[in-house]
Amino acid sequence: MLESLPLLSLILFSPLIGVLILLFVPKHKRKPLQTIAILTTLIPLVLGAMLLLQFDGVNSSVQMEEELKWIQPLTYFNYHFAYQLGVDGISLPLILLTAFIATAAAFASVFIKKRWKLFFILLLLLETGIFGVFMARDLLLFFIFFEFTLVPMFFLIGIWGEKRRERAANYYLIYNGLGSAIMFIVFMMLIFTVGYDISTSSYTSSFDVIKSNALDPSVFKFDFEELKTWMFVLLLIAFGIKLPMFPFHTWVVKVHREAPPAVVMIHSGILLKMGAYGLIRFGYEIFPEQAVEWATVLAVIGVINFLYGALLALMQNELRSILAYSSISHMGIVLMGLAAGNALGMQGAVFQLISHGLISALLFLIVGSIAERTRTTALPELGGLAQRMPFLSGVFLFAGLASLGLPALSGFVAEFMSFAGLFEQMPVLAAIGSIGIVLAAVYMLRAVLAITFGNLHAQHQSLKDVRMMEAIPMVALTAVIIVLGVYPALLTSIVEQGMAFYVMVKGG
Amino acid sequence: MDFTISTYAWIIPLFPFVSFLILLVLGRQMKGIASTISIFAMLLATVSALLLLGETLKNEAQSYTSSVFNWLDIGDFSISFGYEVNNVNVLMLVIVTVVSLLVNVFSKGYMADDERMTVFYSYISLFTFSMLMLVISDNILQLYIFWELVGLCSFLLIGFWYQKKEAKAAAKKAFIVTRIGDIGLFIAVILLFWYMPEHMLSFTAIHNAFETNAHGFSDGMVTLVALLIFVGAVGKSGQFPLHTWLPDAMEGPTPISALIHAATMVAAGVFLVAKTYDIFLASETALLIVGTVGAFTALFAALIAIAQNDIKRILAYSTVSQLGYMMLALGLGTMAAYSAAMLHLFTHAFFKALLFLGAGSIIYALHHEQNILKMGGIGKSMKVTTWTFAIGTLALAGIFPLSGFWSKDAILAQAYEHQPVFFAAALIGVFLTAFYMSRLFFLVFTGDNRSGHTPKESPWVMTLPLIILAVLAVCAGWVAIPGIGTFNEWLVGETMEEKIHWSILIISNVVALLGIGLGYKMFRNKTASSLHEQSGNGLQTVLARKFYIDELYDLIVVKPVRGLGAFLQLWDEFIVGGLVKGSITTTRQIGKMGMRLQSGQMQVYALISVIGMLILLLIFAGRRLI
Amino acid sequence: MLNSYLLLSASLFCIGLYGALSKKNAVIVLLSIELMLNAANVNIIAFSKYGINPSLTGHVFSLFSMTVAAAEVAVGIAILIMLYRNRGISDVTKMDVLKK
Repeated sequence: MLESLPLLSLILFSPLIGVLILLFVPKHKRKPLQTIAILTTLIPLVLGAMLLLQFDGVNSSVQMEEELKWIQPLTYFNYHFAYQLGVDGISLPLILLTAFIATAAAFASVFIKKRWKLFFILLLLLETGIFGVFMARDLLLFFIFFEFTLVPMFFLIGIWGEKRRERAANYYLIYNGLGSAIMFIVFMMLIFTVGYDISTSSYTSSFDVIKSNALDPSVFKFDFEELKTWMFVLLLIAFGIKLPMFPFHTWVVKVHREAPPAVVMIHSGILLKMGAYGLIRFGYEIFPEQAVEWATVLAVIGVINFLYGALLALMQNELRSILAYSSISHMGIVLMGLAAGNALGMQGAVFQLISHGLISALLFLIVGSIAERTRTTALPELGGLAQRMPFLSGVFLFAGLASLGLPALSGFVAEFMSFAGLFEQMPVLAAIGSIGIVLAAVYMLRAVLAITFGNLHAQHQSLKDVRMMEAIPMVALTAVIIVLGVYPALLTSIVEQGMAFYVMVKGG
Repeated sequence: MDFTISTYAWIIPLFPFVSFLILLVLGRQMKGIASTISIFAMLLATVSALLLLGETLKNEAQSYTSSVFNWLDIGDFSISFGYEVNNVNVLMLVIVTVVSLLVNVFSKGYMADDERMTVFYSYISLFTFSMLMLVISDNILQLYIFWELVGLCSFLLIGFWYQKKEAKAAAKKAFIVTRIGDIGLFIAVILLFWYMPEHMLSFTAIHNAFETNAHGFSDGMVTLVALLIFVGAVGKSGQFPLHTWLPDAMEGPTPISALIHAATMVAAGVFLVAKTYDIFLASETALLIVGTVGAFTALFAALIAIAQNDIKRILAYSTVSQLGYMMLALGLGTMAAYSAAMLHLFTHAFFKALLFLGAGSIIYALHHEQNILKMGGIGKSMKVTTWTFAIGTLALAGIFPLSGFWSKDAILAQAYEHQPVFFAAALIGVFLTAFYMSRLFFLVFTGDNRSGHTPKESPWVMTLPLIILAVLAVCAGWVAIPGIGTFNEWLVGETMEEKIHWSILIISNVVALLGIGLGYKMFRNKTASSLHEQSGNGLQTVLARKFYIDELYDLIVVKPVRGLGAFLQLWDEFIVGGLVKGSITTTRQIGKMGMRLQSGQMQVYALISVIGMLILLLIFAGRRLI
Repeated sequence: MLNSYLLLSASLFCIGLYGALSKKNAVIVLLSIELMLNAANVNIIAFSKYGINPSLTGHVFSLFSMTVAAAEVAVGIAILIMLYRNRGISDVTKMDVLKK
């Protein structure tokens, strides 16, 4: 009975139910609006748990596939475009992460002070878009969802952000639009070169067909190899912008600084992960040989990201900027893990995606709490918050420690796996990169201690500690970070299944 | 089936962990109960550790290893978590639980006025848990994890009084400096992971692989791994050049200095080297470096200790120096020296904890005055503290027959046999140690009362731990009296031939007595006025400023990193940001050019299209012609 | 015979084009456009008489095109009058609201 449910579609469209209900609620009624939004985000979370239970961790193929022919073949092109969904070991954790962080963000929307109705509608639309990205098994469907996330995000930044929100929203749209354009070019190239289904002799955009054709050189007569390199590099740039990869990182800093905390939780927690996910899914899965060829470049960029972000984070005097550069730095670890290309490194990269998603969501939740109470996130204007807000300070310290890679928390596992992976392949680069681990401790502690330790400023004497609405997601995120750090096998056993493809290709 | 406690050794760390969880939930409430919970948990842990010790004493050299769960599965290999019980571990378990228990009791008095006592006890419980887990770890990755966690607790406790600027800076420094060392260990763990047969990281596997030479390492790689592990140990144990954090760490509450920064955590570095000793034995170079760093640190820190005026800082430098002795012994590369190092770790834990707690008792009585120049004359009013502190001082100086004597003598004897240079350094160190300790002792306990307070003896919760530790400081060394004690065989598991160097016994005692005598002569019965003349010559300034190491680091590490950061900041803003802005302006300019064509004059448009058509015509007609 | 008609129509067209592009008065521009249209008509009729397949189709088409031209002039003049009434201009260079 349960098996027959189209679970993925249910998860994908369940936030839209909330959107429908929200449409009928008067827009000044804050409480019911938020309650409905939170309840709606719980649906995919519950369904996600069911998905996890049904997921077959041993089987190394895509599961729960759903298909619906959407655009029927045109006579001239004989072209297929289908609604195809599926999950594997890489996308499943990301889907769960999305469901989880969306819920946390819905809680965190207590920080939003105006136009709640539109906010929640956009938030839920965004959630659907992200689910779609992680589930799509069709190139065009992926592209559509990828683009779809831009729209709600644009408004979320542009309406509820800080002073220079419009500029940040424009940066966001332009950078990501550019990335999407490049991605679209590659997708078209793929569809019209290897998107040819031999059995039905028709063009199709399905991921699996393209992948198997691209991996089989005998299918095509023309010289596909050089084209492949081009496509891989273009994909690297397209997803590198999203990741963000040095030197395409400027927009991320602006968004982190200007967007409202609840939105940054989603942005930094999940949206950035779409870049890495795309790189793994399309870059690595379709072009494994090119990925091996370009591994050194990737590793160098990764190390640059890691150190560059860390050094710049050290120089900032504003908490959001520090966290923005810290995100850039942490995405460097993902690149390093991917560059290693062995089982350890690749899993480390995915682990880092999840771990950083959780940690940065927690950190921005805290930013929201601090900013709401003190109206500032500049380090010189803050200090001694531990006196008035012990709970928040404790969680902040915890999040900072998790972010700098303290063992027994999830960040360490990811760091260890990625570094261990890279040490096998490129020990010198990895050794250079390890300096960043110290830098991470320096900038993170600097930020946390400057805000929580020391003397309380006079105007902050009457601050209150966190409310229940903030404490619930904080505790939940904290718990998951600890669980993953203490028992990482929980996650790696799933991820391993999704990585089998690449390690096999590389080994052979 | 025999009932063996070894198989249940994992329960010991659970006591403090449960206590930690309870206290965490309590938050800042229930001040009264907090200490009781923590002390009770520690009592249980101590009793179990002692039972375990009793068992290992009966069954000689039997070790028990068990892996509990797979932490990570990657492809065909996995990293598991487990625990190991062997004699070295049990020794450490006993040290940690006993000292932690006594410090817990002591803190009940010392921290009585602090409103965050519950938090304090929860940190101590977490620390004890992590330290015990570190001790019984069966593989090096697990050790690394708890290695970092004890570092975290140390950080939390140094910064316990978080409003204080110094405490904040010291906590940060402690975390970051030790983390530099930890990177070494981190890389070493990864290298071991890749080169060990079947990616085994357990200590047993390392032992077997290096003993039978069945590892995948080249000679250079062995040295590298050994040195990287040592870098970790240097960071944690405050050896030169990463020693700077330990004296600053004295900003934390004094019981913490006794527990973490004297007896247990800082000794973890020595413990780590001891646990992976087989790797060091495989590389002459690594051993030599370990020994040299140890010897240098022993002397260097002792020199600095002479010129310090903060009672806790003197003890901190003394700790650094004594840890140097242990490293020196480990650098000798014999099993006898190894066991001497562990013996010194064992005895040092007790007498240094005693000294710190004694210092705590004084500081408590003087309302947090720490400058020894402002103390004096305490001996009359605080009898228990004075006598126990005296025992600690003598034990540290290495006077017969206190515990410090036996362990230091064992190290000296081994150094004499294998490395005369180290022996000379160690002997000078003995003199310096005796001298700075007697300076401390006589300035604090004799002479005029310069503090402006009237000291009162501390309550019994504080003096009781002092007395117990004093007893231990006297007796702990007797387990290894040459010819009588069986510590070495018990620890190493093999009988070794022991020569008793009577000459060294006598020389070291004489040297130590000389040091004490000099200190007595110079610092006995000082009055407030006589101290002012002391303001120093050049050498004393250098010593008082700790050889300018902090300033040097600021110059060669902190400043360049900041400079690089500032440069990158500009780079990011102007070059990277400039590129972005540049592309924006270019696009705008292209747009403007198009706008200029758009004049709104229909006639111009028409003219342009006519010209365009003419050009097309010319092209097509021209083509035809050619 | 065809050549002379074509020459006539070409010169008419060029005069019309010149007028349409260079004159400022809107009425003259309109007249010039009419001139160009009529040049085309001359061409059509000439080809239908002296072309490869002489037929009546050309004549018919020229009638069509004259009708269309008449309609166009009617609309054009109407616009011009309205413009003159509302803004008081008949100078085409000042009719540049499209730009804004």
